Amino acid sequence: MNALARVLLAVIPAFMLSFAVAGVNRVEPRVFGLPFLLVWIVLWVAITPLFLYGVERLRRKA
Amino acid sequence: MRPEIIALAIIAVIVFGTIGFALAGVRRFKMDPQEYIVGSRSFGALLLWILLAGEIYTSFTFLGAAGWAYGKGAPAFYILAYGTIGYTIGYFYLPEVWRIGKERNLLTWGDLLADRYDSRALGVAVGVLQFFLTVPYVTLQLTGLQILLTIAGYGRYDSVAAVGAAFALITLFVFTSGLRGAAWASVVKDALVLAAVLFAGIVLPIHFFGSPAAMLDRVIAAHPDWMTLKTGTQQYGIVWYISTVLLTSIGFFMGPANAQSIYSAHDAKTVRRNMMLMPLYQLVIILVFLAGFTALVVVPGLKGPAADQSFVLLLQRYYPAWVLGLVAGTGCLAALLPASVLLLGAASIFSKNVLTDAFGIATSDRSRLFWTRALVLIVAALSLVLWIFAKTSLVDLLLFYYNGITQLFPGIIFALVWKRASAWAVAAGLITGEIVAAYSLHVSVGPWGINPGFLALVANVAVCCTVALVFPRTARALAPSQ
Repeated sequence: MNALARVLLAVIPAFMLSFAVAGVNRVEPRVFGLPFLLVWIVLWVAITPLFLYGVERLRRKA
Repeated sequence: MRPEIIALAIIAVIVFGTIGFALAGVRRFKMDPQEYIVGSRSFGALLLWILLAGEIYTSFTFLGAAGWAYGKGAPAFYILAYGTIGYTIGYFYLPEVWRIGKERNLLTWGDLLADRYDSRALGVAVGVLQFFLTVPYVTLQLTGLQILLTIAGYGRYDSVAAVGAAFALITLFVFTSGLRGAAWASVVKDALVLAAVLFAGIVLPIHFFGSPAAMLDRVIAAHPDWMTLKTGTQQYGIVWYISTVLLTSIGFFMGPANAQSIYSAHDAKTVRRNMMLMPLYQLVIILVFLAGFTALVVVPGLKGPAADQSFVLLLQRYYPAWVLGLVAGTGCLAALLPASVLLLGAASIFSKNVLTDAFGIATSDRSRLFWTRALVLIVAALSLVLWIFAKTSLVDLLLFYYNGITQLFPGIIFALVWKRASAWAVAAGLITGEIVAAYSLHVSVGPWGINPGFLALVANVAVCCTVALVFPRTARALAPSQ
């Protein structure tokens, strides 16, 4: 159960950076001038460590 | 003074200074194969971080990412995503790879496969394969080096001689110092790369357009389709993006030099912590994109592989020679140091898995060290030959490398988790994958817009699983990894 939860947690940002890109392939809305597609990718790259930290917490509990 | 002399002198100072610093740092370590190849498995979190960052942020990041932002636009964004997913996957299996390596005293990917599948032949095959696949990756660094030295010479020198000289220098450096020297040199290199990229990605757009946002307005006005992927199955469309991100993130650690970096860690926790934090370092690549986009508006018209010159050419045209020298010198380090780690990785796997295991040469520590060093020179020579004959863009060289190297992944993962898989199953999958990958070199876009390397990987897994299910491994010779 714990192992499954860890994998699922890690898959979320990986999915957002790959398959989900098909749904956000847009220029608008722009954030700080960056096109939305790039904003989306940057956002998920930046928070991937948080997800992996969560995975690490679960691993220590197991 | 003439600008090319100023720029080239600054480049020389940066390169020689960094190498001198690294050589001073490694002097006190006694040299044997363990120290030479994996730094005696003693690197803590910080040195491992610098080594990993150092070998991943290469002239591909420095020039290639900007070149694709300039020449293709949104397809370049895959570069930001794939590393991040690569670390996520690495978080799960690399600590285990490290643990088995420590326990069984392994140095290379070939060692791991030979050990887990109890098949020396598999280790030999993987050794040969990795050795030759490393060549285009080193060639990529040479191409980057040539771009920088040509621009810094202001078109007044033939850069081929300079590239040869710089490459000879770095070959001698890694010949002498081994992995630890490369890690030390990366300390300087990474600090300089960060400064250069901040300058190119922030200061350049402010200088020419007032702000990065205003620069992007100009790019979008001139090229309305530049910031999005083409739909569906077109070349460099969404399907290409997804399949490329998956392929390259899966193959992210499959190079011979990557196994070395992982084995150089002093414990599994160090590996895990690095995988968790490395994605943050990827964010630097946004700045490289901004530099490439700025160049697209300021120095338009570069076609094909010439797009890789993007922002460096801009510096040559609009900035004093010393600025160009500092940035190009940094770029030279970003080409030379990863090249040194790659040379070492290819040499290590060939001497260990082919010379020692297949031919029984180089069995003592002394002769292993000798042969590894000799092979550093041989790989360097092969890369120079390929560089002279192959002229292609930086990203294309990298994708060629990934198509081949990623085919190792099923074997590595099944070695850790699936006891049914035998050496024969892995070999059958690997051969299938490499044949499809080699065939796909002739087609620029795969069926349905999929990256052909990804299809090769699917074929590889399918064949490997089929063979493993029909002819399962009867008894595992070694104790299971837990």
